[in-house]
Amino acid sequence: MGNGIRERGWIPLLFLAPALIGLIVFRLAPIGIAIVGGFLQQTLRGETVFAGLANYLDLATDPVFWNSVRVTLLFNVLINPFQVVVALGLALLVFRPGPGVTFFRAAYFLPMCVSLAIVSVLWNILLDTQLGPVNGLLSALGLERQPFFRSESQALLTMIGIASWKGCGYWMMFLLAGLYAIPDDFHEAARIDGANAWQRFRYVTLPLMRRPILFVLIADTAINFLFFAPIYIITNGGPAGATDLLMFQAYQSAFAYLNHGRSLAISTILLVVIALFAVVEFRLFRSPSDA
Amino acid sequence: MRAPLAWLPTGLRYLTMALIALALLLPLYWMLISSLRPSDEIFRYAADFGWRTFVPESLTLEHWIGALDAGYLRAIGNSLFVAFSTVALGILVNSLAGFAFAVFDFPGRTVLFVCVLASFMMPFEAMVLPLYHLVRFLGWTDSYKALIMPEVASGFIIFLFRQFFVGIPKELFEAARIDGATWWQAYWRIAMPLTGPTIATASLMLFILQWEAFFWPLVAASAPDYVVVQVAIARHSNLETTDWGGMFAASSIAVLMALIPFLAFQRYYVRTIVQSGIK
Repeated sequence: MGNGIRERGWIPLLFLAPALIGLIVFRLAPIGIAIVGGFLQQTLRGETVFAGLANYLDLATDPVFWNSVRVTLLFNVLINPFQVVVALGLALLVFRPGPGVTFFRAAYFLPMCVSLAIVSVLWNILLDTQLGPVNGLLSALGLERQPFFRSESQALLTMIGIASWKGCGYWMMFLLAGLYAIPDDFHEAARIDGANAWQRFRYVTLPLMRRPILFVLIADTAINFLFFAPIYIITNGGPAGATDLLMFQAYQSAFAYLNHGRSLAISTILLVVIALFAVVEFRLFRSPSDA
Repeated sequence: MRAPLAWLPTGLRYLTMALIALALLLPLYWMLISSLRPSDEIFRYAADFGWRTFVPESLTLEHWIGALDAGYLRAIGNSLFVAFSTVALGILVNSLAGFAFAVFDFPGRTVLFVCVLASFMMPFEAMVLPLYHLVRFLGWTDSYKALIMPEVASGFIIFLFRQFFVGIPKELFEAARIDGATWWQAYWRIAMPLTGPTIATASLMLFILQWEAFFWPLVAASAPDYVVVQVAIARHSNLETTDWGGMFAASSIAVLMALIPFLAFQRYYVRTIVQSGIK
């Protein structure tokens, strides 16, 4: 960082204090609370006692927790590459200028302005088995009606669908910026060398897009590990645990089972996972030369 | 000398773009138009899909008027109060810190700044459940404080302000100091009036963040007096309601109120967000 103006110790501190207090209390302290709380349990008499690893050992033998781990991993393994591929496809589609292209770009970004709660309410109705217009369309086309959120095999995939409906345009913006950062000469040189469109994409665009793609993949994963609102609003983790993501389990532990030790133990596990992603993201962010 | 079928790639490109736009926009259009037609019409043409699904026979404002009942107006008021308070406090607190990081030289500056940057890599959702215990300990559950305070300090917005203030020549502040101005005056009278676009971007981000907040308000302040827009809408839908029109009207209002500031500031916002990730 450049050299600033030297000033007696307390003046910079006064300027920094409100923000630093806010970050310490609301961003740092919760991490400590999650870690400590993960080692505590409440007795039947309502006393809080140190319980060592009991919460974690309980989780280790709890099939509900392991199902939730499995669903969370499956969800992330599917949704993150899917969203990156779709976002890259969208970015390539609207990259070259042309009449009306600006409109399409804005249109793709628009669902991002709809809150996750409203996305959930809207798609829950759109995909309703009896009354929803999507099933109306399917039967008008002579196809079979689908249960979507009410089916064990379709619910998680449908979640991925509605999350992507909202999110892909947002990630497209980052990849679009990455595409613009590639100098025109690169494509021109490849074209002169006789490379076809696929070869230009594979050997020019893709290697140069590694950094933005990686950034989007990691940032997207960190967010999707904490996916919550649509589960709470639409499926409540069901049917039969098919959409029981860890963040929802952590919420349920606290507010349905009133087991705060369990809730904070799961929160700690999630925080560790997110912190790992943050470290990778941070290195990416700090070194502009190489990914 | 254009090859025959040379229009095909362009034609396919536009067809693909249009189909995707349709898939993204039609659900929103359907929500809006359904909020403006009588209930029996919504149901009839949702299940019996056709062009009538999207073109109403008759229009009515009954759902919009019905949606704006005392409960929902209260939720809108709560959300607006929380959002604007967060914007006002957030601009002040984060710009002060950004100013300090940009202008002053003090021991530990780099380490501290790295910590601030690290804080915005951790999504707030990860903090919600442990933070609930802290807020309960402070006696803040079901209060505006609980909704506002956690979102005021933001590593990302400190970063935005710092990036802007670094570009202002230090001589400007030094000259002001020689003329007898305090550091507060240098910040408030010289630096802040130059930051228009950064203030616009930061305000929009904080406003949208609070307007669309769901998880934290659900956990921290779900009492009817403090219920916010998103929680109110989710509650409404959880009651196995058949009042789709009312729900769509409430949702349309919520979407429009986020969309209007977004469209107004979109240029700054998209640029800032995107640059922050790619730089």
